[in-house]
Order: sequence, then structure tokens, then C-alpha cells
Amino acid sequence: MEPAKEFIIQKESIYSGALSCRGCGWTLLARYVSHVMGPNTVYVVPACCFSIIAGPSPMNLMKGTVVHTLFAAAAATATGVRHALDRQGKKDTWVVVLAGDGGTFDIGLQALSGAAARQENIIYICNNNAAYMNTGVQSSTGTPAGAKTATDPSGKKLPAKNLMGIIEAHHLPYYATASPAFLDDLILKLEKAKNSEGFRFLMIDGPCPPGHKHDPELSIELARLAVECNYFPLFESENGKLKITCLPPKKKPVSDYLKPQGRFIHLFNGTYANGIEEIQKQVDDNWQRLLKMEEITSSL
Amino acid sequence: MIEIRGHARGGQGMVTAFEMLAKIFSYRYNFEVQAFPFFGVERTGAPIQAYLRISSAPIQVRSYIYQPNMVIVFDEGLMENSALIDGLTTDGTLIINSDKSPQSFKGKASRIVTVPATRISVERKLGSISLPIVNAAMVGAVLRVLDADVHEAAEIIKLEVPIKPEANVEAAITAFNNINEFVDTLFRLQQSNGSAAKASKPDSPVPFWDKPMSVNKTGSWRVVAPKYETREAPCTYNCPAGTDVRRFVDLAAKGKFEEAHELIYEHNPFPAICGRVCPHFCQQSCNRIYLDGNVNIGAIERFIGDFKKGRKKSPVPISKNEKIAVVGSGPAGLTAALRLRNLGYPVTVYEAMPKAGGMMRSGIPRFRLPEDVLDDEIKQIEEQGVTIITGKKVTVAELEDHYSAIITAVGSHIGMGLNLGSQSGISDGIEFLRDVNINKKTGQLNRGDILAVIGGGNTAVDVARTALRFGAVPTIYYRRTKQEMPAIAHEVEEAIKEGVKLEFLSAPVAVEPGNHGMLKMIIQKMELGEPDESGRRRPVPVPGSEEFISVHKVIAAIGQSSDHSVFSGSPVKARQGLMEFDEPVYKTPVFCAGDMAWGGTVVEAIGSGNDVAKETHAFLNGKTWEKEESTLPITSYDEINTAWFMPAPSHATPMKIPANLLDNFDEVAGNLSRDTVMEEAKRCLHCGECFNCGNCLNFCPDAAIYIDEENRLRVNYDYCKGCGVCVRECPSSAIHYSDLI
Amino acid sequence: MPESSTTEQSLTEDQVLPNNHTKKVMKGNIAAAVAAKLCRVSLVTAYPITPQTSIIEEITSMIDRGEFDATSVNMESEHSVFAALKGASLVGERVFTATSGQGLLYAHEVLHAIAHMRLPIVACNVGRPSFPWNIWADQTDSISQRDTGWIQFYCESSQEVLDTIIQSYKLAEKLQLPVMVVLDAFYLSHTSENVYLPDQSLADTFLPPAVRENNRVDTEQPRSFGGLVGPNMYDEYNRLYWEDINKVEKATNTIGREFSEIFGRTYGAVEAVNIHNNTKKILVTMATITTTARQVIDDYPDTGLLKIRLFKPFPKKSILEAMKPAGDGCTIITIDRNFTGDTEGALMQEMKRALFGKSVKISGVYAGLGGRDVSAGTIEKIINLDVNSPLTDEVTWIK
Repeated sequence: MEPAKEFIIQKESIYSGALSCRGCGWTLLARYVSHVMGPNTVYVVPACCFSIIAGPSPMNLMKGTVVHTLFAAAAATATGVRHALDRQGKKDTWVVVLAGDGGTFDIGLQALSGAAARQENIIYICNNNAAYMNTGVQSSTGTPAGAKTATDPSGKKLPAKNLMGIIEAHHLPYYATASPAFLDDLILKLEKAKNSEGFRFLMIDGPCPPGHKHDPELSIELARLAVECNYFPLFESENGKLKITCLPPKKKPVSDYLKPQGRFIHLFNGTYANGIEEIQKQVDDNWQRLLKMEEITSSL
Repeated sequence: MIEIRGHARGGQGMVTAFEMLAKIFSYRYNFEVQAFPFFGVERTGAPIQAYLRISSAPIQVRSYIYQPNMVIVFDEGLMENSALIDGLTTDGTLIINSDKSPQSFKGKASRIVTVPATRISVERKLGSISLPIVNAAMVGAVLRVLDADVHEAAEIIKLEVPIKPEANVEAAITAFNNINEFVDTLFRLQQSNGSAAKASKPDSPVPFWDKPMSVNKTGSWRVVAPKYETREAPCTYNCPAGTDVRRFVDLAAKGKFEEAHELIYEHNPFPAICGRVCPHFCQQSCNRIYLDGNVNIGAIERFIGDFKKGRKKSPVPISKNEKIAVVGSGPAGLTAALRLRNLGYPVTVYEAMPKAGGMMRSGIPRFRLPEDVLDDEIKQIEEQGVTIITGKKVTVAELEDHYSAIITAVGSHIGMGLNLGSQSGISDGIEFLRDVNINKKTGQLNRGDILAVIGGGNTAVDVARTALRFGAVPTIYYRRTKQEMPAIAHEVEEAIKEGVKLEFLSAPVAVEPGNHGMLKMIIQKMELGEPDESGRRRPVPVPGSEEFISVHKVIAAIGQSSDHSVFSGSPVKARQGLMEFDEPVYKTPVFCAGDMAWGGTVVEAIGSGNDVAKETHAFLNGKTWEKEESTLPITSYDEINTAWFMPAPSHATPMKIPANLLDNFDEVAGNLSRDTVMEEAKRCLHCGECFNCGNCLNFCPDAAIYIDEENRLRVNYDYCKGCGVCVRECPSSAIHYSDLI
Repeated sequence: MPESSTTEQSLTEDQVLPNNHTKKVMKGNIAAAVAAKLCRVSLVTAYPITPQTSIIEEITSMIDRGEFDATSVNMESEHSVFAALKGASLVGERVFTATSGQGLLYAHEVLHAIAHMRLPIVACNVGRPSFPWNIWADQTDSISQRDTGWIQFYCESSQEVLDTIIQSYKLAEKLQLPVMVVLDAFYLSHTSENVYLPDQSLADTFLPPAVRENNRVDTEQPRSFGGLVGPNMYDEYNRLYWEDINKVEKATNTIGREFSEIFGRTYGAVEAVNIHNNTKKILVTMATITTTARQVIDDYPDTGLLKIRLFKPFPKKSILEAMKPAGDGCTIITIDRNFTGDTEGALMQEMKRALFGKSVKISGVYAGLGGRDVSAGTIEKIINLDVNSPLTDEVTWIK
């Protein structure tokens, strides 16, 4: 057997031994981020699962520099790191934030918005596993409608915050969504982010078997279904032009994605009969919005 | 006071178990209790600790437990960590979740208890296979060891578990009743007092560090292990010749046609022929049929066969003394002859007909198998040193003095008659085809003749299609339906396109002379009843449904049998391999292969030839030979991850049905182009075999897949947590979980 | 001569202009901004809050005019201000910011992180209280940060603000600890007064470029900064911190002397005025109240003054040394311009701690909260408190 080009990572840029749960999206993402970014990168990590996964004392998961920081402060600390590096003439060192959805949608939003509005030369990557997983699965504003969490024990009533809409409002040179199930697309987007200047934002769908309550082996399959059901659409925006990067050939019903996950299982037991329809409508509306956005921005 | 320390993996429910135990001993037995976890950064699967104190007096301590009276191990895999029993008192108890006997942990504690908590929990579907939740079962075991009553605890267990309360209580009771205990009275713990961890010192006052994370061997978290394991592909499994179909298709996909030919040739010396006439059991069983159409393996094989057309082969030197005779130059005889010749035996093949090829020459029409293709592959066998003597009908008796072994492979060239009483006006299909193919005659068919062909096999179809080319008007009468026709399906379709009519559920019951020199055939209509021993539904006559039709000719093609004159007319029971005779007893071992023994297709005859050659060789070396059957599971479509296969419709074999069939024996099927063949081969799902796609490596969340010295993808068990993403994302089902328990 | 007995030689109009200085009239806030420039700070992050604004406005103006080679970033909150400094300092830059009141309180979480990451950041705080809204002089904001692990200096004059910032960088970088320089709102921040502005060359001689050799981000040497630390290790880091915080008092005095050799002005952890063997009362003050007290005690020969400049860590040794000349039976009166919700103010608490086991009587007053004016009259009232009367509480609220 000859080493095939299909092996995306020929030489690992992280160490094995991560303190992540089985089937965790974080470490997989870390593998690809560090693979694309290379060693000359400073990762800024606010409180999130990755604070632990990146390695407690005395270990480091990354073959790169990791600056741990406060929950609300990822984009701000990254700002300081960026300017300090610039002062030292190290313009070729990348500064990459690796944050969870809580540190992005909620407590970190102020710092995120500030850094984005200043067009800080930073890549901000949010691993969106749609709840506070590090603290034991509590709802964040990234938690989708219907999902059961420790603080929404009957399922969250309202849909997740449209963070990408907020991001869009900052006039960024590059922002995108990506999925660990679509690695080529993910890598391409990481590379585009790497090769752009200014504030770049990537939101990655984050599989989480203990939080989403599914078998760990389903992590990638569910991420793939999320895209195929338009539940987590893949798109990017370059200089204001939005483009959907994955048009599922055959749209699957959203229940295909929801059903294998314990956090949605109550939607299927009869008492929540309308739950799936409502979620389907949210998903369809969001998709229509995206299609329209693509159309509108293409002529800008 | 009893101090208990527990060791488990995050997610197994230990913290809840200790909570339950605390409540049981407080509410039911009125003890003072204290249960608490080591509040760590718990990840599912990572080793964790919890503590439990039970006391009749108020508990006056709030530290961790360093000298426990009892250590409870929720996962046997954790026993590798020797620090687990640190501080356990000399009279302390060690409870381990294990199927093993407590004696197998001898030396760890003075009292050892094992309980098969994982088995108990998995049986009750508590947790997942990759992480069984064993807490209720462990609670049961601990209650037993502490002389408590499990039934008293049932209500508390029910309240504490998040789901499946009844199953959890059941698990606790089962565990309670199934502990295994071993008391080692001679045991004295070697542990020194106290085991407080030594505090390491920071290298710098600034909190930073740089040790590789890889010092953390997460392999210890694993419950089930993924393993690369090549399994059977249905194509390869179903090839009677034993051809490694999966591999030759892969070679074709890479454009390695030379290698592909060599690979096929190892099992089948007639790829160009089989590419045309084989029913392709491989293709019929191809899993892709459920996705978007099976891989056109026939077209690929045909291209590979033709790729070598006209190339000269050369013989290996003769190295053996034993001369071998083969009677019959059909695919079985020639295959056996070639294999033995390549082992160094001098081999002579005797053929009664004027040219070699057996049924390939006499039974298959030229528009399916052109003569040059047949000649070429036979020539290649001759070039490899096999002597073929044609036009010579021999018997075993004539040969036995001259040969060390005789292989009989005379085929089935005698047609079976219709059981209608009078055979007048009925001719035989296989004889008709032989007449056409060998003697280039028209089989007494005239233009415009209305012909009834009886049967549903390839012979019937070939007869009908040949008849069309002589200007006759053939109708096939078959007593079952199209679905049950044994003929190759696409051949039936081609026949229909060419103009052959088919009448199903129709069986002739009589053929009588009719008017104007025609025949009057009475057809009984049938319906399908219960399945017979072949699994096909048995046709049952419909009373009063007889019809009369007028035809010029009736050709029966309902089956063939062998010509036993090779055994000088003795009645023999032909079977694969070494034959046994009541009378006469030959001096020389006689073997049998081909249609005489089993099968009915070229590829089965080839397989039979391969086998008989091996058996003959073993026999001549004083050994016995038995066919090895694969014991590997066959990969089913359900095991294929179809997300990794883009929709790609099959490339059909091009068909050129001539506008005017009359006297046109040109080949109907055409070749796919080289590029199309490669494209088609790339549709292969690689069932059960790693094809280096890299998904396992690409998707492993733990960077625990590596490429070994032999360039194979392998699991790094030092780090694999057993999440199973590789098992799931393997497109071809080449990674499987090792046994759970 | 014991270092604690050094007293500051206050400059007066009569004194000759020190070498390589320029006389300027400037506000405390401007002095702070100019100090940052003299220290060759390379990065300033800020968020506006009254009465800190003129510090950052002056800095950005100087940068804008090309007089100050630094990057200034307008952050979205004080939390972000300090979080950004945390990142930049970790990369090895000399960084600065200023804030006040609510801003400092808002950044509280980050202050802990900076201290425990051992980052030599210097920040100015213009003291003002919290709620209800009040923008005037008060030290509750910085006193509330006592437990964050920052070194704290309280300044009396614009000159001292300027000089303390310069010394703070030296101290911070020597011990890898952050320093907060506190100036009173308006009494100092917005009061224009004479400042002898040293030439850049003096500052450069005193304060070499920031060298943070090993303990900084260096992508050539990938490391992880500040991740999860287990209980035992965490305890060890704190012990190391404690060893270094115990060096601060001595280092303050040493650096103060080094500073005087170059600049001609001497500073210590504390300053003793009129403390001798006949001293009966000692006023203990911080920041601008000290100046008024200096004047009042001229009329009270048996009253001394102890100015606490280094408040955190509390300079116990220097205090004991400064009080030595006064005999037993001397009364200490602390003046607290902060309220932390306890009977005693923070200064009184700390003094009690410092003088534990000594035969001195300690009384305390709250005075000047929320910018309530502390006049000479107020000081006199404090001096004349009958601390021995059974009618007088241990702690008095002075109006």
C-alpha cells in the first residue's frame, strides 16, 4: 500500500493523548487548525472544553503556543497578543482564537464584537457544540430549539441566536461556517482565513457525544447529516459576498439529524409532535434566507 | 468507620453509585455518610476517583481517603494502574468489575471480590457498548459485601438513576447474587504507610509548560477496540473459480491491466471468454446494486482479457515424471491441464471434437463468443506446454497404461428429452447449437419457420437467438416466469430486443402431427405454487387451461447430461475429484471435473478444473487435498458507509443489435473504452477491505491512527479511546470492533 | 542609616532645578501619560472613564503627534483592556493603561489573572468610588483590589505619579509582578502643579528596555500559558508568588534609592515626618491627604506623620522602622478614604496587622469618602480627637 494523497495529515501537528471525550469534535478540529496554521501560531483559548483538552499542567496538546485566557476575554487577549507581535515585527505569526459557543455567543460576545469592529488581524474559530459542555451541558444562546440541557430539562423553547448574522454586521473580509464531516471544505476555509487579513471568523459544527447524547461513533455521521438536512448550512463570505459552499444534492428531513441524538429524543415521543415541524420550518426559513443573501450579495 | 475509594471511567456512573450507597446507608441503616468525587476535569472515559465514608459516629474528616478499607474498581482495565490499591488496609477488600475469578487478582488485597457488572449491564442495555453504565450493578455488589439488603435499596436506586429504573434494580439484584469472593489469609500488603502524591515543583514562577500531551496515554480509557480486519467481498466470495474480483477491479481502476490479467489468470485462464459469457456471480452479488447499480465487472474482466489478446506465452520446463491425461478440452479440462502443466507435469488433453474448447465452442453461439477470442485463449494454454489432441475420442481404459493420472472432464453434451411420450418432430437444443457452431449448419431450420423452444436456460435463449439468425420465428415456452429463468438476465433482455418471444407459465404436454406438415403442440398453462428444493416456486398446472398452437419445429432445451462412454459405458456417479468405481477398477487414479461433476457454467468448470488440478497434484505427492472454505464474514451492503460513495451510474456494456439479423453472427456485445473501464472499476465499494482512503486517519479525533512500516493504516492503541468514528466512517467496513467482553 | 528613615526631600521654589529636568506645570493625569512615554511603553489599551480620560487622551495625542512610539488600542471595556494587556505582556511588550472606579471593578477578574500569570504590567488608577454614581476622590475601588495580587502605590503629587510609574516598571519587571499606581481623582488627576520632567535619557538610564527572556510567548519554543493546574501544583505556584511578594518592600526601597542617584528624588515604601522620641500621635495617611497633613502638623510638634506609599504588600518592616524613634505610648490615628464594609477602614486594618503585639494605641477615622473635602480643619479635628475619652469610639466618622 502506498501512502495516499487522501491522507490529509501526513505529519500530525498536535500530540495524541488529548483529554477530550470519545468522539469529540474539538480535538479533530485542533488537528486541522494546527495542520493548516503551522507552528508559527499563537492560540488564544478562553474558558471552554478546549481549556482542558489543550492540556493541563505540565502538558501541551498543541505543537504550538497556547495562551489561556478568561471566559469573556478571548478576542481581547488575542488583540493584545496580535499588537505585541506586530510591535516585535512578527507579522507572520498568526493569532488564532479557539473558543466554544458560550465564550462566543454569550459572555465573549462583547470582546468578539470589539475586536471584529476594529478589524484586528485575528482568526477567531468557534467550535459550536451548542451548549456549555465543559460545565456539564447547560444551555447557551447557541443551544438550538428543542434541545434538552441541564438548564432546559424539558427542551429549549427558543431557537439559537443567529450569530453569523451578528458577524455579518461587522463587515468582515472573511467569515464562514464549516463542518468536521466535510474536511476538504474545512481545510479550504481555514486556508482562506489564513491567507486573508483583518478579522476572520469561522464557526465549526462541534460534535459532542456526551452533550448531544449519542454514540461517539456517530460524531462525524451526525455532522454530515447536519449539513445534508440544511440544519448546519455550509457557507462563506468573502468581502461581503456570501456563497453557500455545500448544496446538499438531496435535502434530507431534519428528523434524520435529530433522531439519533438523546438531546432531541423527547421530540419523537408524541408529546412534542409539533416540535419537529417547528424546527423543520426554522431550518427551511434559514435556508431560504441564506439563498436570498447569496443572491443579493452576489450583485454587490 | 468504613472508608471506600472508587476508581472508574468518567461516564460509568460511579459518582451516582456512591451517592446511592450514601443514601442507602443513611436512609435505610441510619449511618452517618459522606460521598464525594475527586472534582476533576472529568471526560467520558477518563479515569476518575470517588470517595465514600460510612460511620456510626459523626464523621470528623473532610479530606480525600488515603487508607481505604475498601477499593472498588468499576473498570477492570484500570487495574493496570498499580496506584489503584495504594493505602488499602491489610484487611481491606478489593471489589473489581470483572468476568474473571477473584483468584486471578491474587496479591492485590487480602479479600478480593469480582462481579461481572459489565456483562450484567450490557445484557440490560444500560449505557452503550462503548461505555456500559455499570453503577447499579456495582451498587448491588457493594451492598452484598457490606452485608446490606439489596431489596431495601431498590427504591433508592430507582430514584437515583436517570432512566430505566427497573433494569437498574434488576442489575443491582443480579450483581448482588453473583459476586465471587476470594480471601487470601496469607496476604500481607507490601504497601508502606501513606501514599500522598509528591508535589512536583513548577519550573518557573510563571505558569507555563511544554511537555507533550502524548505522555497522557488515553488508550487506557478504551472499552472496545477498533481493529483493521479484511473480510470477504461478495464478488470474490461468489466467484466459483476463486478469482480475487475485488483486487482485479481495484487494479483496473488504477489502469494496471497487465497486473489485473495476471491476477485473474491465477484462477481463471479465460478472462476474455468469461468476460463475455460468464453469468458473473460476482456482479450479481455486488453490493453496489443496492446503491445505484452493480459494478459492471463483466465488462472490466472482458477488457482485461482482451488487453492480453495475441500476446505469446511460454511454457515452464517439465520437471515431473508423472504423465497426466485430461479427457475433454472444455474449460474444466483445459484449466486442470494448464495448472498441472505449470507445476511441471507433462499433460496431454484428448478432445473428441475437431477443435478444442468443449461447450465454449459447441454450446455458445458466435455472436456471444467470437471464435478468435476462444482460439486465442486456448492458444495461450497450448503455448504454455499443454498438448491438445483433437478429433480423438478416448476411454479411460485406453489411457490407463500410459498415464499416472487421468482427469475426465467431458462435460454435458447430451440433451434431455421432453417427457411427452412421442419425441417425433422434437429436436434437441444442445445438439442444434453444436451443429451450428461446429458443423456450420442451420439445424434444418428454414426461413419463416415457426419455432417453439422449450426451456428457460441459456441453451434455450441461445437456440432462439440463433434461430432468429436463420430467419425462423422462435418463441420460448417456459413453465415458470421470467424471474425464475436460469438464463443470464441480460441475455434474455437481448433476446427480447432481437425479436424472441417469450411465453411464461407454459409447459408443453403433447406434440402431435398437425396440418400442412406443421406440428400441433398442446400447452398447459401453469401457476406458481410452493417453492421446491431449489428455492424456486414450483409450477402447478392450471386445470382446463390447455391451448393448441401450430409450429414448424420444436426444440427442447431443458437440461443436459454427460456422455459416459469415457468409462466404456459403465454406469458411474461422476463427482468432483478422485473417482471411485465398483467395476472396472482402473490401475490409474481417475479424477473428474467440470459439468460432469457440478455446475453448468464456464466459470464453475474453471473452478472445478483448479480444484481437480490441486487434488491430482496432492495425490501424486501422496497427500490428500481438501478445498479451503473461507470462514471470514461476508460484507453486506448495510455495513458499507454509502456517504463516501458519490452517485455514479453503472457503465453498461454497449450492445450492437444488428438491424438485419439474418446470417449475422457478429458479436452483439461491445467493449468499454479503457477510460470507461477505469471509471467503472472506480465504482467498486471495496467491500471488507481497506483501500487506503484515509478516512480513519483523517477523522480520528485523537490522532491515534498511523501508517506502519509496511505502509498500512493501523490503530495506535496507546491513544485510541475506542470512540468508533473510524469503524463508522470506514466506507468499506474494513475496521471492526474487537469483541466486547 | 536604616532605609526606612529616609525621608523625601520635597522640592520647593527655592531649590535649583535638578540636572536634565524641565520644569512643567501639569496635571497628575498628564504626568501619568508622560511617564508612560518616558518608560517607552509600546502598547496602551484603554477605555474611557471619568476622571481617567485625560491620561489616555494625552497618550493618544502624543502618539498621534509622533512624539510617542506606541500602539494604542481603543477597547470595548476595561475587562477587555486588561485582557488585551495580559496577552501583550505575555508576548513580552511593556504595556500600560489607566482606569478608574467602575472600570477597575469591572476588570477585577482579569487583575487576578494578570498577577497570577506574573505579568509586569503597570496600570494607573484614578481613585473614585462605585455606587450611587460618584466621580470624586475615593480609594475604595483600588482598595477592593487588595487581594488580586497587584502591588499598589498611592501617590501624593503629580511628581510622585510620574516618578512612581517609572519606578514601578523597574519593580514589576524585576519581580514579575503587576503594579497599580493610584492617584486621587481631581485632587491629583486634574490639579495642575509643578512637575520636574526628567529628560528621556535619565529614564533610559534608569529603566533599560523590557527584557522578558524565557517567560514569554515565543513561537520558536511552543508552550502553553496558564492552563489548568492541579491542586498541589497550584499551591506551589502560590508559594512561589508569596516568596516574591515578600521581596517587594525591600525592592521598593532599593529602587527608590537607585532612582534618587539618577533623578535626585528619593522614595521609599513609607515616609516618616516629625517622628521623634517626643511624638505622642502619629497620623497615618495615603495619597493627597498627606500633603494637607504635612502642613497641619507644623503646628503640632508632638504629632508625627506616616505616609504609606506602598500599600500592597503592606510594608510592615518599614513602618516599624519609621516608628522606632517614637516611644511606647504613642497613639496612631489612621485616616481611611475608603469603605469596604467593615468597622475599620483598610488602612487601619493593615496598621493593626503591622503593629500586632506592639504597645501602641490605634485609632482610626473615615474621612473624605466620595470626594468629601479633607481640609486642614478636618486634619486638626482628627489630631484633636480625644482618643482616650471613653465617649470616643475606636473608629470615628469625620464629617
